[in-house]
Amino acid sequence: MTTNPTTSPTTTGSTVTRMQANVEGGKMIADYWENIFTAPERGKKVVWYNGSALNPIFQAAGLEWCHGEAFSARLAAQHLEGPAQLAGAEYGYIQELCSYSRTHLGCAVLSNGGGPTPGGETGVVSALDQQELASKLPKPDFFVNAYSGCSTGQQWDEVTYRVFGKSVPIFNVSIPFLWGNKPDSRYMGGQEWDEATDYVVAQLRDLITFIEAQTGRPFDWDALSESMSYIRTASELRLEGMDLCAKKPTPATYWDWIASVAHINFLPGNQELVDYFRSVRDEVQYRVDNEVSALQNERYRLYFDGIMNWNKLGWLAKRFAEYDAAVIAGRYTHSSFWQEPQIIDPNDPLRGMAQHYLLCPINHSLPTLDYLTQRDCERFDIDGLVFHSTRTCRAFTNPQTMLASSAKEHLGIPAMFFEGDVADASFYKDDILESRLVAMLESIDVRRAKAGV
Amino acid sequence: MNAPLHRLAEVAADPDAYVVAWKQSHPGRKVAGVLPMNFPEELLHAAGFLPVVIQENRDPDSDGRVILAEFYCGYTRNLADQAAKGKLDIYDTYFVADHCVQLLGAADVMRFKAPGTPIYFGQFIASMSEESTARKVRNEMEHIVGEVERGAGTPIDRERLAESIRLYNTDRRLLRMIFDARREGRIHLSGAQMQDLVKSSMVMDKAEHVALLEQLLTEGIAAGGSQARVKLHLSGHFCHAPKQELLDLIEDCGAMIVDDDLYHGRRYITTDVREDLDPIEALSTWYFDRNVNVPCPTRVQHDADWDTYLSNAVSESGADGVIVLMAKFCEPHMLLYPELRKMMDERDTPYLLIETEHEGLPMETIRTRIEALVERISRKATVAAAL
Ligand code: SF4
Ligand code: SF4
Repeated sequence: MTTNPTTSPTTTGSTVTRMQANVEGGKMIADYWENIFTAPERGKKVVWYNGSALNPIFQAAGLEWCHGEAFSARLAAQHLEGPAQLAGAEYGYIQELCSYSRTHLGCAVLSNGGGPTPGGETGVVSALDQQELASKLPKPDFFVNAYSGCSTGQQWDEVTYRVFGKSVPIFNVSIPFLWGNKPDSRYMGGQEWDEATDYVVAQLRDLITFIEAQTGRPFDWDALSESMSYIRTASELRLEGMDLCAKKPTPATYWDWIASVAHINFLPGNQELVDYFRSVRDEVQYRVDNEVSALQNERYRLYFDGIMNWNKLGWLAKRFAEYDAAVIAGRYTHSSFWQEPQIIDPNDPLRGMAQHYLLCPINHSLPTLDYLTQRDCERFDIDGLVFHSTRTCRAFTNPQTMLASSAKEHLGIPAMFFEGDVADASFYKDDILESRLVAMLESIDVRRAKAGV
Repeated sequence: MNAPLHRLAEVAADPDAYVVAWKQSHPGRKVAGVLPMNFPEELLHAAGFLPVVIQENRDPDSDGRVILAEFYCGYTRNLADQAAKGKLDIYDTYFVADHCVQLLGAADVMRFKAPGTPIYFGQFIASMSEESTARKVRNEMEHIVGEVERGAGTPIDRERLAESIRLYNTDRRLLRMIFDARREGRIHLSGAQMQDLVKSSMVMDKAEHVALLEQLLTEGIAAGGSQARVKLHLSGHFCHAPKQELLDLIEDCGAMIVDDDLYHGRRYITTDVREDLDPIEALSTWYFDRNVNVPCPTRVQHDADWDTYLSNAVSESGADGVIVLMAKFCEPHMLLYPELRKMMDERDTPYLLIETEHEGLPMETIRTRIEALVERISRKATVAAAL
């Protein structure tokens, strides 16, 4: 038996037991952003990037990195997205446009001196909005785009480049979409996979040359190996924790894994990252050993498909818990972030990194997504699927109805859909979520009754 | 309407009927459905296929509505609907080169609904400013050749491909002659008729299309006939044709369309494939040339600016204003629209944004907005004349 690595578990509402490690983890994220905001004072160059987790490359190059989606998500999660979205709307972005990009482009408009009140030299934040945005995001020294799966991701950075009057250098890494063209195409295998890997590796080398030109320093390959080694270990610990959730009742939920997405996706690869994920894994193990469940009364085990609804994160966790529904795994948490650590060779990391970027769960066509979804539904003994039909993110929404019908056909499990968005709260309809959740849980009950469970 | 125009309009109005009739009259030959906007149809033509850019149909979406969510562009939702209803069964195979997230969503639906029909995605990398892209596109072109040959069951003869390229260039050149003549006021065809010319070209056997265009040009197209108060440029509308009712409405409000950069317009015909290069090399080059000639926001090219293109086009045609037609929910268009707006504001060009959907266009509301644009332009002209 492991010892309790936490202080006493905190309880929210009536049934959710939150993980203590994630409370600590929140501080790491706050520190990371604070570090970004002070980069210019410290004479550090700042890169804005979107999409793939290129941060180990930036780390090794001695840069500070700001992930655009992450910044939009953070603003939305803190309900501070309003001023940036307003600035974007005034500039002309239509509300149906990807709200991550809209929010981030709004920041770019403000940063570039546009928006309702001109911003200062160094920040996105005009005096008017400073409090609300609670940030001082520095202007970029250059952009890097490497967006998997979604064409909007690449176009968004090109437009940011134009908002800045083409005055900030940009480099694009193109990640081919894995359509499954060849008879031998399969998850992480086949000719298409090998060719795409080679192509991305070559571009990463070009990217490093570009970065060397921007920094005026030779790239530190040893530093890259070191950070990738930490990331690999952190990822293995994270996956060990996830695996423990196959237990019934589950010791941790999807919402707990959401809380550590930022860490695995863009925090520096270092010992602190490893320590954090060790504490997460240990806490989950402690719960397993001591029969502590995430929900006090788990009656349903659900899978969540869709990008996160950051405005409603805490709300959704409570909503599902109210119905004794443990959301256990999801495409976003379980198939997105260094989820195949064995492909990382710290001594020669580029190939594994390229493959990881190709493995983004919006970079696969339906057959692979069917495979991944059904694999995880079986692994966690899932009773039903929850689809977040994400209004402005077509990349995640694309295959959802077909995934639902395949899961029904092959595993016999029901699904529900609810409307929401990544970073625009106005698209969320709570009454729809509730009525559809109730209907799905009833259908699970009926199925169980028929099966005599 | 003269005979060639009538025939072209007939095909444009019912592409499926044309495809079915073609198959009947060409037993054993295959039809390849192509998704917009960059696939090199010449390759399919040279291999003996009838390449057809799959068009949005006029049926109300029903079965497909539950497969793709309501926040997809009209084209992709309608493709899903056609797939769900089996309307795409007239195609023997599909080819796609464009990485648009919504288009690939629709392509996944097509494969899901007809798993037996091959659908090949030969991705043309959209980021065009990196050195590695040209090599990759060239490489992908070779893959596509292999796939086309596999579908045809026979290798593509290079000379045959060169002939196809010449034929397609001829078609584009003839169409451009008509578009240029409209821009210069030497002929008058309605917006709907201009669309018929291009849409039929996307569907018909090219030799047949060329013959009809030649006949049309020989017979001559009348000039004048328009009582329009203002001249407009139509911009945008990717992948599918704007509804002809909308084009008619614009003209009905007192505007004459003098030029456009619509996909079912100048964007489709703007660039020839070079005949002085190896054909495969030439098709790869064509992909890059197109985006220089009429920049497209679905591509990412730092030195190709749609706003600059549009500004120049408006100056060249003397258009008094611009109507931006946007397929609602089209992300690349939504992303770049503010740059167009900025440019039009800077040059003081009146403009109007109209978002279109597959069904339920609020025609009366749109009429009021177009009338207001026409009025604004007319007043501006009156003020300018008084100065
Ligand atoms: S639509 Fe979705 S996947 Fe695409 S850029 Fe926006 S958030 Fe990313
Ligand atoms: S109209 Fe726009 S969103 Fe629709 S398929 Fe074409 S590029 Fe994509």
